[in-house]
Amino acid sequence: MIKVMDGIRVLEVAQFTFTPAAGAVLADWGADVLKIEHPIRGDTQRGFLNMGGVQLDPLRHTLIEHPNRGKRSVGIDLATAEGQEVLYELAKQSDVFLTNFLPKVRQKNKFDIEHIRAANPNIIYARGSAWGNKGPEREQGGFDGTAFWSRSGIADAMSPKELGGPLSQGIPAFGDSIGGMFIAGGISAALLHRERTGEALELDVSLLSTAWWASGALISQVMETGILTGNSMPKSGGSPVNPFTGNFTTSDGGTINMCTLSPTPQIIKSLFTHLGVPEVADDPRFADAISLFTNADAASEIMVKAFAAQPYQYWRQHMKTYTGQWAPIQSFEDLLTDDQTIANDMIIEVEGADGGKPLRLVRSPVQFNGEKLETTRAPQASEHTEIVLMEMGIEWDRIEELKAKGAIA
Amino acid sequence: MKPGTRLKSATCDTEVMVIRCGEGAIECGGVAMAETKPAEAAALGADFSGGTLMGKRYVDAAGAFELLCVKPGKGSLAVDGVVLVTKDAKPLPASD
Repeated sequence: MIKVMDGIRVLEVAQFTFTPAAGAVLADWGADVLKIEHPIRGDTQRGFLNMGGVQLDPLRHTLIEHPNRGKRSVGIDLATAEGQEVLYELAKQSDVFLTNFLPKVRQKNKFDIEHIRAANPNIIYARGSAWGNKGPEREQGGFDGTAFWSRSGIADAMSPKELGGPLSQGIPAFGDSIGGMFIAGGISAALLHRERTGEALELDVSLLSTAWWASGALISQVMETGILTGNSMPKSGGSPVNPFTGNFTTSDGGTINMCTLSPTPQIIKSLFTHLGVPEVADDPRFADAISLFTNADAASEIMVKAFAAQPYQYWRQHMKTYTGQWAPIQSFEDLLTDDQTIANDMIIEVEGADGGKPLRLVRSPVQFNGEKLETTRAPQASEHTEIVLMEMGIEWDRIEELKAKGAIA
Repeated sequence: MKPGTRLKSATCDTEVMVIRCGEGAIECGGVAMAETKPAEAAALGADFSGGTLMGKRYVDAAGAFELLCVKPGKGSLAVDGVVLVTKDAKPLPASD
Protein backbone atom coordinates (compact mmCIF):
# COMPACT_ATOMS: atom_id res chain seq x y z
CA MET A 1 0.00 0.00 0.00
CA ILE A 2 1.24 3.49 -0.85
CA LYS A 3 2.10 5.43 2.31
CA VAL A 4 2.01 9.12 1.45
CA MET A 5 3.02 10.12 5.01
CA ASP A 6 5.85 7.58 5.22
CA GLY A 7 8.71 9.04 7.26
CA ILE A 8 6.51 11.63 9.00
CA ARG A 9 6.29 11.26 12.78
CA VAL A 10 3.32 12.69 14.66
CA LEU A 11 3.51 13.19 18.41
CA GLU A 12 -0.05 13.14 19.69
CA VAL A 13 -1.00 14.33 23.16
CA ALA A 14 -4.75 14.15 22.75
CA GLN A 15 -7.86 12.43 24.03
CA PHE A 16 -11.39 11.50 22.92
CA THR A 17 -12.15 11.39 19.17
CA PHE A 18 -11.86 14.80 17.46
CA THR A 19 -8.09 15.34 17.59
CA PRO A 20 -6.99 11.68 17.85
CA ALA A 21 -9.04 11.08 14.67
CA ALA A 22 -6.62 13.38 12.85
CA GLY A 23 -3.78 11.16 14.06
CA ALA A 24 -5.72 8.11 12.85
CA VAL A 25 -6.11 9.58 9.36
CA LEU A 26 -2.38 10.41 9.23
CA ALA A 27 -1.60 6.87 10.45
CA ASP A 28 -3.87 5.49 7.69
CA TRP A 29 -1.69 7.48 5.29
CA GLY A 30 1.49 5.93 6.67
CA ALA A 31 2.70 8.36 9.36
CA ASP A 32 4.32 7.00 12.53
CA VAL A 33 1.87 8.29 15.15
CA LEU A 34 2.95 8.14 18.77
CA LYS A 35 -0.03 8.48 21.09
CA ILE A 36 1.05 9.73 24.50
CA GLU A 37 -1.25 8.48 27.26
CA HIS A 38 -1.33 8.82 31.00
CA PRO A 39 0.54 5.77 32.40
CA ILE A 40 -2.32 4.74 34.67
CA ARG A 41 -5.56 6.16 33.28
CA GLY A 42 -4.78 6.15 29.56
CA ASP A 43 -6.90 8.18 27.14
CA THR A 44 -10.05 9.12 29.08
CA GLN A 45 -12.06 7.70 26.20
CA ARG A 46 -10.85 4.21 27.20
CA GLY A 47 -13.42 4.54 29.99
CA PHE A 48 -16.28 5.24 27.56
CA LEU A 49 -17.44 1.65 27.70
CA ASN A 50 -21.13 2.30 28.11
CA MET A 51 -22.33 4.80 25.53
CA GLY A 52 -25.80 4.92 24.05
CA GLY A 53 -26.68 2.00 26.30
CA VAL A 54 -24.23 -0.33 24.51
CA GLN A 55 -21.66 -2.12 26.66
CA LEU A 56 -18.26 -2.49 24.97
CA ASP A 57 -15.44 -4.96 25.61
CA PRO A 58 -12.26 -2.96 26.49
CA LEU A 59 -10.29 -5.29 24.18
CA ARG A 60 -12.71 -4.62 21.30
CA HIS A 61 -13.42 -0.98 22.09
CA THR A 62 -14.74 0.49 18.85
CA LEU A 63 -14.74 4.05 20.22
CA ILE A 64 -10.99 3.67 20.84
CA GLU A 65 -10.30 1.71 17.64
CA HIS A 66 -11.95 4.17 15.23
CA PRO A 67 -9.81 7.21 16.15
CA ASN A 68 -6.61 5.36 17.18
CA ARG A 69 -5.96 2.54 14.72
CA GLY A 70 -2.48 2.32 13.32
CA LYS A 71 -0.84 4.20 16.22
CA ARG A 72 1.61 3.22 18.95
CA SER A 73 0.89 4.11 22.55
CA VAL A 74 3.53 5.45 24.92
CA GLY A 75 2.68 5.97 28.60
CA ILE A 76 4.16 9.21 29.93
CA ASP A 77 3.08 11.18 33.00
CA LEU A 78 3.37 14.74 31.69
CA ALA A 79 2.78 16.16 35.15
CA THR A 80 6.34 15.09 36.04
CA ALA A 81 9.49 16.95 34.98
CA GLU A 82 11.07 13.63 33.89
CA GLY A 83 8.02 12.86 31.74
CA GLN A 84 8.22 16.29 30.12
CA GLU A 85 11.90 15.69 29.31
CA VAL A 86 10.98 12.44 27.56
CA LEU A 87 8.26 14.27 25.62
CA TYR A 88 10.78 16.88 24.45
CA GLU A 89 13.12 14.13 23.28
CA LEU A 90 10.30 12.65 21.24
CA ALA A 91 9.37 16.13 19.95
CA LYS A 92 12.92 16.61 18.66
CA GLN A 93 12.40 13.58 16.42
CA SER A 94 8.86 14.45 15.31
CA ASP A 95 7.40 16.52 12.48
CA VAL A 96 4.02 17.30 13.98
CA PHE A 97 2.76 17.89 17.52
CA LEU A 98 -0.97 17.26 17.81
CA THR A 99 -2.98 18.16 20.90
CA ASN A 100 -6.44 18.96 22.20
CA PHE A 101 -5.58 19.52 25.85
CA LEU A 102 -6.85 22.83 27.20
CA PRO A 103 -4.46 25.81 27.29
CA LYS A 104 -4.12 25.73 31.08
CA VAL A 105 -3.09 22.05 31.03
CA ARG A 106 -0.63 22.70 28.21
CA GLN A 107 0.87 25.47 30.34
CA LYS A 108 0.86 23.51 33.60
CA ASN A 109 2.43 20.41 32.06
CA LYS A 110 4.70 22.47 29.79
CA PHE A 111 3.74 21.17 26.38
CA ASP A 112 2.33 24.38 24.96
CA ILE A 113 3.77 25.70 21.73
CA GLU A 114 6.68 27.58 23.31
CA HIS A 115 7.81 24.49 25.24
CA ILE A 116 7.58 22.15 22.24
CA ARG A 117 9.15 24.69 19.88
CA ALA A 118 12.02 25.13 22.36
CA ALA A 119 12.75 21.43 21.84
CA ASN A 120 12.14 21.51 18.09
CA PRO A 121 11.73 24.87 16.30
CA ASN A 122 10.71 23.09 13.08
CA ILE A 123 7.76 21.18 14.47
CA ILE A 124 4.25 21.84 13.19
CA TYR A 125 2.00 22.54 16.20
CA ALA A 126 -1.64 21.51 15.61
CA ARG A 127 -4.42 22.25 18.09
CA GLY A 128 -7.95 20.91 18.16
CA SER A 129 -10.37 22.79 20.41
CA ALA A 130 -14.07 23.14 21.06
CA TRP A 131 -14.55 26.86 20.50
CA GLY A 132 -11.36 28.09 18.83
CA ASN A 133 -7.98 29.32 20.03
CA LYS A 134 -9.08 32.96 20.35
CA GLY A 135 -11.83 34.66 22.31
CA PRO A 136 -13.07 34.57 25.88
CA GLU A 137 -13.87 30.85 25.80
CA ARG A 138 -10.57 29.49 24.48
CA GLU A 139 -10.01 27.99 27.95
CA GLN A 140 -13.31 26.07 27.86
CA GLY A 141 -13.61 22.47 26.74
CA GLY A 142 -16.43 20.84 24.84
CA PHE A 143 -17.54 17.75 22.97
CA ASP A 144 -19.06 17.55 19.51
CA GLY A 145 -22.48 17.22 21.14
CA THR A 146 -22.01 20.71 22.57
CA ALA A 147 -19.77 22.53 20.09
CA PHE A 148 -20.41 20.86 16.75
CA TRP A 149 -24.07 20.03 17.21
CA SER A 150 -25.74 22.29 19.75
CA ARG A 151 -24.17 25.73 19.82
CA SER A 152 -23.27 25.66 16.13
CA GLY A 153 -26.85 25.97 14.86
CA ILE A 154 -26.85 22.46 13.39
CA ALA A 155 -29.30 21.00 15.94
CA ASP A 156 -31.63 23.93 15.30
CA ALA A 157 -31.47 23.59 11.51
CA MET A 158 -31.81 19.80 11.55
CA SER A 159 -34.88 19.75 13.80
CA PRO A 160 -38.32 20.51 12.33
CA LYS A 161 -40.04 23.13 14.51
CA GLU A 162 -43.09 20.86 14.82
CA LEU A 163 -41.01 18.45 16.93
CA GLY A 164 -41.13 20.91 19.79
CA GLY A 165 -37.43 20.48 20.55
CA PRO A 166 -34.08 19.85 18.92
CA LEU A 167 -32.86 16.45 17.81
CA SER A 168 -29.71 15.17 19.48
CA GLN A 169 -26.59 14.40 17.42
CA GLY A 170 -27.60 10.73 17.29
CA ILE A 171 -24.27 9.45 15.97
CA PRO A 172 -21.40 9.22 18.48
CA ALA A 173 -18.35 11.31 17.56
CA PHE A 174 -20.08 12.51 14.37
CA GLY A 175 -18.66 16.04 14.49
CA ASP A 176 -15.39 14.73 15.93
CA SER A 177 -14.79 12.37 13.02
CA ILE A 178 -15.51 15.07 10.43
CA GLY A 179 -13.31 17.56 12.29
CA GLY A 180 -10.46 15.07 12.65
CA MET A 181 -10.26 14.87 8.86
CA PHE A 182 -10.14 18.67 8.72
CA ILE A 183 -7.16 18.73 11.10
CA ALA A 184 -5.40 16.04 9.04
CA GLY A 185 -5.96 18.15 5.92
CA GLY A 186 -4.52 21.21 7.65
CA ILE A 187 -1.49 19.26 8.82
CA SER A 188 -0.90 17.96 5.28
CA ALA A 189 -0.94 21.53 3.95
CA ALA A 190 1.40 22.65 6.75
CA LEU A 191 3.81 19.82 5.90
CA LEU A 192 3.78 20.90 2.25
CA HIS A 193 4.42 24.50 3.29
CA ARG A 194 7.33 23.45 5.50
CA GLU A 195 8.74 21.35 2.67
CA ARG A 196 8.62 24.32 0.30
CA THR A 197 9.63 27.18 2.59
CA GLY A 198 11.20 25.64 5.68
CA GLU A 199 8.66 27.44 7.84
CA ALA A 200 6.79 25.45 10.52
CA LEU A 201 3.26 26.68 11.16
CA GLU A 202 0.83 26.38 14.03
CA LEU A 203 -2.73 25.52 13.15
CA ASP A 204 -6.15 25.43 14.78
CA VAL A 205 -9.35 23.58 14.01
CA SER A 206 -12.28 23.82 16.41
CA LEU A 207 -15.43 21.74 16.57
CA LEU A 208 -17.29 25.01 16.07
CA SER A 209 -15.32 25.80 12.89
CA THR A 210 -15.93 22.23 11.73
CA ALA A 211 -19.69 22.76 12.02
CA TRP A 212 -19.34 26.23 10.50
CA TRP A 213 -17.70 24.84 7.36
CA ALA A 214 -19.99 21.80 7.11
CA SER A 215 -23.00 24.16 7.32
CA GLY A 216 -21.42 26.88 5.19
CA ALA A 217 -23.87 26.73 2.29
CA LEU A 218 -26.79 27.51 4.61
CA ILE A 219 -24.92 29.97 6.84
CA SER A 220 -23.83 31.92 3.75
CA GLN A 221 -27.45 32.01 2.58
CA VAL A 222 -28.52 33.38 5.96
CA MET A 223 -25.83 36.07 5.82
CA GLU A 224 -26.82 37.06 2.29
CA THR A 225 -30.62 36.80 2.39
CA GLY A 226 -31.48 36.83 6.08
CA ILE A 227 -33.54 33.70 5.50
CA LEU A 228 -32.84 30.62 7.63
CA THR A 229 -34.41 27.52 6.16
CA GLY A 230 -34.62 24.30 8.14
CA ASN A 231 -35.89 20.78 8.03
CA SER A 232 -39.55 19.93 7.64
CA MET A 233 -41.43 17.02 9.17
CA PRO A 234 -41.26 13.72 7.24
CA LYS A 235 -44.04 13.02 4.75
CA SER A 236 -44.51 11.00 1.58
CA GLY A 237 -44.52 13.34 -1.37
CA GLY A 238 -42.48 15.71 -3.47
CA SER A 239 -41.54 19.31 -2.81
CA PRO A 240 -44.22 21.89 -3.69
CA VAL A 241 -41.90 23.24 -6.42
CA ASN A 242 -40.05 20.22 -7.77
CA PRO A 243 -41.95 16.96 -7.22
CA PHE A 244 -38.83 14.99 -8.16
CA THR A 245 -37.29 15.98 -4.82
CA GLY A 246 -38.60 14.55 -1.56
CA ASN A 247 -39.15 11.27 0.24
CA PHE A 248 -41.65 8.64 -0.82
CA THR A 249 -43.00 5.82 1.34
CA THR A 250 -43.03 2.27 -0.02
CA SER A 251 -45.79 -0.30 0.59
CA ASP A 252 -43.89 -1.76 3.56
CA GLY A 253 -42.97 1.54 5.21
CA GLY A 254 -39.52 1.98 3.66
CA THR A 255 -38.46 5.27 2.11
CA ILE A 256 -37.06 6.25 -1.27
CA ASN A 257 -35.40 9.64 -1.52
CA MET A 258 -35.69 11.56 -4.76
CA CYS A 259 -33.23 14.36 -5.42
CA THR A 260 -33.50 15.08 -9.13
CA LEU A 261 -32.86 18.81 -9.22
CA SER A 262 -32.87 19.17 -13.04
CA PRO A 263 -35.54 16.87 -14.45
CA THR A 264 -34.98 16.87 -18.22
CA PRO A 265 -37.67 15.36 -20.49
CA GLN A 266 -35.53 12.19 -20.75
CA ILE A 267 -35.32 11.90 -16.97
CA ILE A 268 -39.06 12.58 -16.58
CA LYS A 269 -39.74 9.73 -19.01
CA SER A 270 -37.28 7.46 -17.19
CA LEU A 271 -38.91 8.10 -13.82
CA PHE A 272 -42.51 7.55 -14.84
CA THR A 273 -41.46 4.44 -16.75
CA HIS A 274 -39.76 3.09 -13.62
CA LEU A 275 -42.83 3.95 -11.56
CA GLY A 276 -44.90 1.73 -13.87
CA VAL A 277 -46.90 4.65 -15.34
CA PRO A 278 -45.03 5.43 -18.61
CA GLU A 279 -48.10 7.14 -20.09
CA VAL A 280 -47.81 9.95 -17.52
CA ALA A 281 -44.66 11.15 -19.29
CA ASP A 282 -46.83 11.95 -22.33
CA ASP A 283 -49.10 14.20 -20.25
CA PRO A 284 -48.28 17.81 -21.34
CA ARG A 285 -48.50 18.92 -17.66
CA PHE A 286 -45.28 17.00 -17.02
CA ALA A 287 -43.55 17.29 -20.41
CA ASP A 288 -40.58 19.34 -19.24
CA ALA A 289 -39.11 20.80 -16.04
CA ILE A 290 -41.11 24.05 -16.08
CA SER A 291 -44.42 22.26 -16.74
CA LEU A 292 -43.56 19.72 -14.05
CA PHE A 293 -42.80 22.48 -11.50
CA THR A 294 -46.10 24.23 -12.37
CA ASN A 295 -48.02 21.00 -11.79
CA ALA A 296 -45.92 19.71 -8.90
CA ASP A 297 -48.85 18.64 -6.70
CA ALA A 298 -50.44 16.54 -9.42
CA ALA A 299 -47.11 14.85 -10.22
CA SER A 300 -46.38 14.23 -6.55
CA GLU A 301 -49.76 12.57 -6.06
CA ILE A 302 -49.06 10.13 -8.91
CA MET A 303 -45.61 9.38 -7.49
CA VAL A 304 -46.85 8.84 -3.92
CA LYS A 305 -49.40 6.32 -5.20
CA ALA A 306 -46.87 4.54 -7.40
CA PHE A 307 -44.18 4.21 -4.69
CA ALA A 308 -46.81 2.95 -2.23
CA ALA A 309 -47.64 0.05 -4.56
CA GLN A 310 -44.35 -1.86 -4.13
CA PRO A 311 -42.09 -2.77 -1.21
CA TYR A 312 -38.77 -1.11 -0.36
CA GLN A 313 -36.52 -3.88 -1.70
CA TYR A 314 -38.35 -3.75 -5.04
CA TRP A 315 -37.58 -0.04 -5.41
CA ARG A 316 -34.03 -0.42 -4.10
CA GLN A 317 -33.30 -2.76 -7.04
CA HIS A 318 -35.70 -1.46 -9.66
CA MET A 319 -34.64 2.20 -9.46
CA LYS A 320 -30.99 1.38 -10.18
CA THR A 321 -31.57 1.99 -13.90
CA TYR A 322 -33.41 5.31 -13.37
CA THR A 323 -31.32 8.07 -14.99
CA GLY A 324 -31.96 10.80 -12.37
CA GLN A 325 -30.65 11.15 -8.81
CA TRP A 326 -32.28 9.10 -6.06
CA ALA A 327 -31.32 6.91 -3.13
CA PRO A 328 -32.94 4.38 -0.84
CA ILE A 329 -33.00 5.58 2.77
CA GLN A 330 -30.65 2.98 4.27
CA SER A 331 -29.51 2.18 7.76
CA PHE A 332 -25.85 1.71 8.69
CA GLU A 333 -26.68 -2.00 8.82
CA ASP A 334 -27.85 -1.83 5.20
CA LEU A 335 -24.64 -0.01 4.29
CA LEU A 336 -22.52 -2.99 5.35
CA THR A 337 -23.88 -4.96 2.38
CA ASP A 338 -24.16 -2.03 -0.03
CA ASP A 339 -22.40 -2.81 -3.35
CA GLN A 340 -20.65 0.57 -3.35
CA THR A 341 -19.36 0.22 0.23
CA ILE A 342 -17.82 -3.11 -0.67
CA ALA A 343 -16.53 -2.17 -4.14
CA ASN A 344 -14.71 0.85 -2.69
CA ASP A 345 -13.00 -1.08 0.14
CA MET A 346 -14.75 1.04 2.76
CA ILE A 347 -14.72 -1.69 5.41
CA ILE A 348 -11.28 -2.44 6.83
CA GLU A 349 -10.23 -5.26 9.12
CA VAL A 350 -7.72 -5.21 11.95
CA GLU A 351 -6.82 -7.97 14.41
CA GLY A 352 -8.74 -7.97 17.68
CA ALA A 353 -6.60 -7.33 20.77
CA ASP A 354 -8.41 -10.29 22.36
CA GLY A 355 -7.07 -12.63 19.66
CA GLY A 356 -10.62 -13.25 18.49
CA LYS A 357 -12.24 -12.49 15.17
CA PRO A 358 -10.95 -9.42 13.27
CA LEU A 359 -12.46 -6.07 14.13
CA ARG A 360 -14.21 -4.29 11.30
CA LEU A 361 -13.66 -0.55 11.11
CA VAL A 362 -14.31 2.15 8.53
CA ARG A 363 -11.55 3.44 6.31
CA SER A 364 -10.78 7.14 6.26
CA PRO A 365 -12.37 8.98 3.33
CA VAL A 366 -9.41 9.45 0.97
CA GLN A 367 -8.25 6.51 -1.13
CA PHE A 368 -4.86 6.85 -2.86
CA ASN A 369 -4.34 5.10 -6.21
CA GLY A 370 -7.44 3.00 -5.56
CA GLU A 371 -5.49 0.91 -3.07
CA LYS A 372 -7.00 -0.90 -0.12
CA LEU A 373 -6.12 0.49 3.29
CA GLU A 374 -3.97 -1.75 5.44
CA THR A 375 -3.50 -0.80 9.05
CA THR A 376 -3.27 -2.25 12.54
CA ARG A 377 -5.56 -2.18 15.56
CA ALA A 378 -5.45 0.63 18.11
CA PRO A 379 -2.77 0.10 20.75
CA GLN A 380 -3.51 -0.96 24.28
CA ALA A 381 -2.70 1.86 26.71
CA SER A 382 1.10 2.29 26.94
CA GLU A 383 1.64 -0.84 24.84
CA HIS A 384 4.74 0.48 23.07
CA THR A 385 6.41 2.55 25.79
CA GLU A 386 9.73 0.72 26.02
CA ILE A 387 9.95 -0.20 22.34
CA VAL A 388 9.41 3.41 21.21
CA LEU A 389 11.72 4.92 23.83
CA MET A 390 14.52 2.52 22.88
CA GLU A 391 13.93 3.32 19.21
CA MET A 392 14.27 6.99 20.09
CA GLY A 393 17.65 6.37 21.63
CA ILE A 394 16.80 6.23 25.32
CA GLU A 395 19.00 3.70 27.17
CA TRP A 396 17.43 0.89 29.14
CA ASP A 397 18.90 2.08 32.45
CA ARG A 398 17.12 5.39 32.05
CA ILE A 399 13.89 3.62 31.06
CA GLU A 400 14.06 1.62 34.29
CA GLU A 401 14.77 4.77 36.27
CA LEU A 402 11.82 6.58 34.66
CA LYS A 403 9.57 3.60 35.35
CA ALA A 404 10.63 3.50 38.98
CA LYS A 405 9.68 7.17 39.33
CA GLY A 406 6.32 6.60 37.63
CA ALA A 407 7.22 9.10 34.88
CA ILE A 408 6.52 6.47 32.21
CA ALA A 409 4.29 3.40 32.13
CA MET B 1 17.39 -11.94 33.28
CA LYS B 2 18.22 -8.75 31.40
CA PRO B 3 15.30 -6.41 30.77
CA GLY B 4 14.58 -6.14 27.05
CA THR B 5 15.17 -9.92 26.62
CA ARG B 6 12.65 -11.74 24.45
CA LEU B 7 11.38 -15.03 25.85
CA LYS B 8 9.47 -17.73 23.99
CA SER B 9 6.99 -20.20 25.39
CA ALA B 10 7.83 -23.91 25.27
CA THR B 11 4.11 -24.79 25.22
CA CYS B 12 2.44 -22.33 22.86
CA ASP B 13 3.00 -19.34 20.52
CA THR B 14 3.42 -16.81 23.33
CA GLU B 15 6.41 -14.47 23.22
CA VAL B 16 7.15 -11.77 25.77
CA MET B 17 9.57 -8.95 26.28
CA VAL B 18 10.97 -8.81 29.80
CA ILE B 19 10.40 -5.32 31.16
CA ARG B 20 11.10 -5.90 34.84
CA CYS B 21 12.58 -9.02 36.38
CA GLY B 22 13.03 -10.18 39.96
CA GLU B 23 14.11 -13.53 41.43
CA GLY B 24 12.27 -16.55 40.06
CA ALA B 25 11.50 -18.62 36.97
CA ILE B 26 9.31 -17.11 34.25
CA GLU B 27 6.92 -19.72 32.88
CA CYS B 28 4.27 -20.03 30.23
CA GLY B 29 1.73 -22.85 30.14
CA GLY B 30 3.41 -24.24 33.26
CA VAL B 31 6.88 -24.64 31.64
CA ALA B 32 9.90 -22.31 31.91
CA MET B 33 10.30 -19.84 29.04
CA ALA B 34 13.59 -19.44 27.15
CA GLU B 35 15.14 -17.29 24.43
CA THR B 36 14.83 -20.17 21.98
CA LYS B 37 11.91 -22.45 21.33
CA PRO B 38 12.34 -26.20 21.91
CA ALA B 39 12.16 -28.37 18.78
CA GLU B 40 9.08 -30.07 20.18
CA ALA B 41 6.42 -28.19 22.10
CA ALA B 42 5.87 -29.21 25.72
CA ALA B 43 2.37 -30.04 26.96
CA LEU B 44 0.27 -27.12 28.14
CA GLY B 45 -0.45 -27.36 31.87
CA ALA B 46 -4.18 -27.44 32.56
CA ASP B 47 -3.92 -24.76 35.26
CA PHE B 48 -1.87 -22.53 32.98
CA SER B 49 -4.02 -22.42 29.83
CA GLY B 50 -5.79 -19.06 30.20
CA GLY B 51 -4.02 -17.59 27.15
CA THR B 52 -2.04 -14.39 26.61
CA LEU B 53 -3.13 -11.20 24.87
CA MET B 54 -1.04 -9.23 22.40
CA GLY B 55 0.20 -5.91 23.77
CA LYS B 56 -0.81 -6.62 27.35
CA ARG B 57 1.54 -6.23 30.28
CA TYR B 58 1.61 -9.03 32.86
CA VAL B 59 2.70 -8.34 36.42
CA ASP B 60 3.01 -10.16 39.74
CA ALA B 61 1.48 -8.98 43.01
CA ALA B 62 4.81 -7.80 44.43
CA GLY B 63 5.61 -5.67 41.37
CA ALA B 64 8.92 -7.51 40.81
CA PHE B 65 8.02 -8.76 37.33
CA GLU B 66 6.58 -7.11 34.27
CA LEU B 67 6.29 -8.92 30.93
CA LEU B 68 4.98 -7.38 27.71
CA CYS B 69 3.24 -9.88 25.45
CA VAL B 70 4.55 -9.41 21.89
CA LYS B 71 2.97 -12.57 20.48
CA PRO B 72 -0.15 -14.17 21.97
CA GLY B 73 -0.68 -17.86 22.70
CA LYS B 74 -2.73 -20.36 24.67
CA GLY B 75 -0.63 -20.58 27.84
CA SER B 76 -0.81 -18.42 30.97
CA LEU B 77 2.24 -16.53 32.17
CA ALA B 78 3.49 -17.29 35.68
CA VAL B 79 6.48 -16.90 37.96
CA ASP B 80 7.37 -20.00 40.04
CA GLY B 81 3.88 -21.37 39.50
CA VAL B 82 1.99 -18.19 40.44
CA VAL B 83 -0.07 -16.83 37.55
CA LEU B 84 0.60 -13.22 36.54
CA VAL B 85 -2.24 -10.77 36.01
CA THR B 86 -2.71 -8.12 33.31
CA LYS B 87 -1.81 -4.54 34.10
CA ASP B 88 -4.73 -2.59 32.68
CA ALA B 89 -5.39 1.11 32.22
CA LYS B 90 -7.71 2.43 34.90
CA PRO B 91 -9.73 5.04 33.03
CA LEU B 92 -12.08 7.43 34.78
CA PRO B 93 -15.66 6.17 34.95
CA ALA B 94 -17.81 7.70 32.20
CA SER B 95 -21.18 7.22 30.53
CA ASP B 96 -23.69 9.15 28.46
